[in-house]
Amino acid sequence: MSAIAECVVAFIFGSVVGLLVQRSRFCNTAALRDAILFKSYRNTKALLVAMMILTIGFTGFMTLGAGHPLDFDVGANQFVGLFLFGIGMVLAGACTVSTWVKTGEGNVGALWALVCTFIGMFLFSIAWSWNYWPPAPASMTGEPNLPALQLGFANARTLQDKLGIPAIAFGLVQVAVLFGIYRAILRKEMAQHVRHEQAAAADALETPPAEPKVKVLASRWG
Amino acid sequence: MEFFRKTLDPVIALSAIAVLDVFLFLVVGAWTVGGGETMMTGLIAQTFLGDDLRRLPFWSLVFPVHGDYWKIYISLGMLFGAFAGALLSREFYLRIPRRLSEWVLITIGGLLMGVGIRLAFVCNVSTFFGLTPEMNLGGYLAISGIIAGAWVGPMIYKRILEG
Repeated sequence: MSAIAECVVAFIFGSVVGLLVQRSRFCNTAALRDAILFKSYRNTKALLVAMMILTIGFTGFMTLGAGHPLDFDVGANQFVGLFLFGIGMVLAGACTVSTWVKTGEGNVGALWALVCTFIGMFLFSIAWSWNYWPPAPASMTGEPNLPALQLGFANARTLQDKLGIPAIAFGLVQVAVLFGIYRAILRKEMAQHVRHEQAAAADALETPPAEPKVKVLASRWG
Repeated sequence: MEFFRKTLDPVIALSAIAVLDVFLFLVVGAWTVGGGETMMTGLIAQTFLGDDLRRLPFWSLVFPVHGDYWKIYISLGMLFGAFAGALLSREFYLRIPRRLSEWVLITIGGLLMGVGIRLAFVCNVSTFFGLTPEMNLGGYLAISGIIAGAWVGPMIYKRILEG
């Protein structure tokens, strides 16, 4: 596929994603933050369902040798980088998707978050040009490089190659784990719902409306 | 049209996005945002700095700058799709943060997101919609990091707001 065709496909995909995220108010930041802080799981459930579909799709096609999986060495930088990112998205109130989507809705704060993200990336490029860490993709070998805090490369396809077990088998295990988390959330929501109903019923019993009480007393006292 | 009047269930929206992402994975690669943003940063920096940008090895060894990088167009598409959706549902209007503390939080948050993406080579989208469904080891490291960050973030948020 030519570079221009790739760009056109990417733009069409992005447009549909932007429209669906805008109409659904999905937010990746909320999916994590709200689950941790408020025990609210609206976005978390959507994220889990998407991950289940993607795991089946990706590992299914990886079994057949199809698709374009990400291919680079991983290490401590993934944990540290996303830790900083996680703090940043909570402070900014938006992640990479919602900065673009909220900017499209006319949110100037989101646009400023985007500008600051670009500035942060440029500052990192200065720091990288000084210390050259994490290693550049060209110097990656796929093998562990402990002095550089790199663990090498591993995904469902490398597991398939090494163990001779189809990648989809590992994918199904991951789907089972994700489904377990999804079910636990549903149970938690059900328990929350029952507690709310019980609390509402208890409140209604403790403070019945004034007029009926008078009527009851009047009927008792004749 | 009903689609532009009611809020869509995020489970339906994300399921549709996931199916489309599988097709994208087959054609070019999984959905990602951070890579496109980095290339945009490089293009903007090149506009201001010209050939001086080459003095930073990052922009030749890690991200050689070129405009026909498909990941850029995912972000531009999201901007366009969200703008169209907001306009058609009459939800487009200018929202400007009013308090100085909000601007400060957004500035720190944005900078941390930019540094974090480049340090990790991935953003939150690649983590949840690319690496982890591919069962890449980096996905699990990144998810652990982002959950820890989302747990620490509100504490910092509260501290900054309380002065």
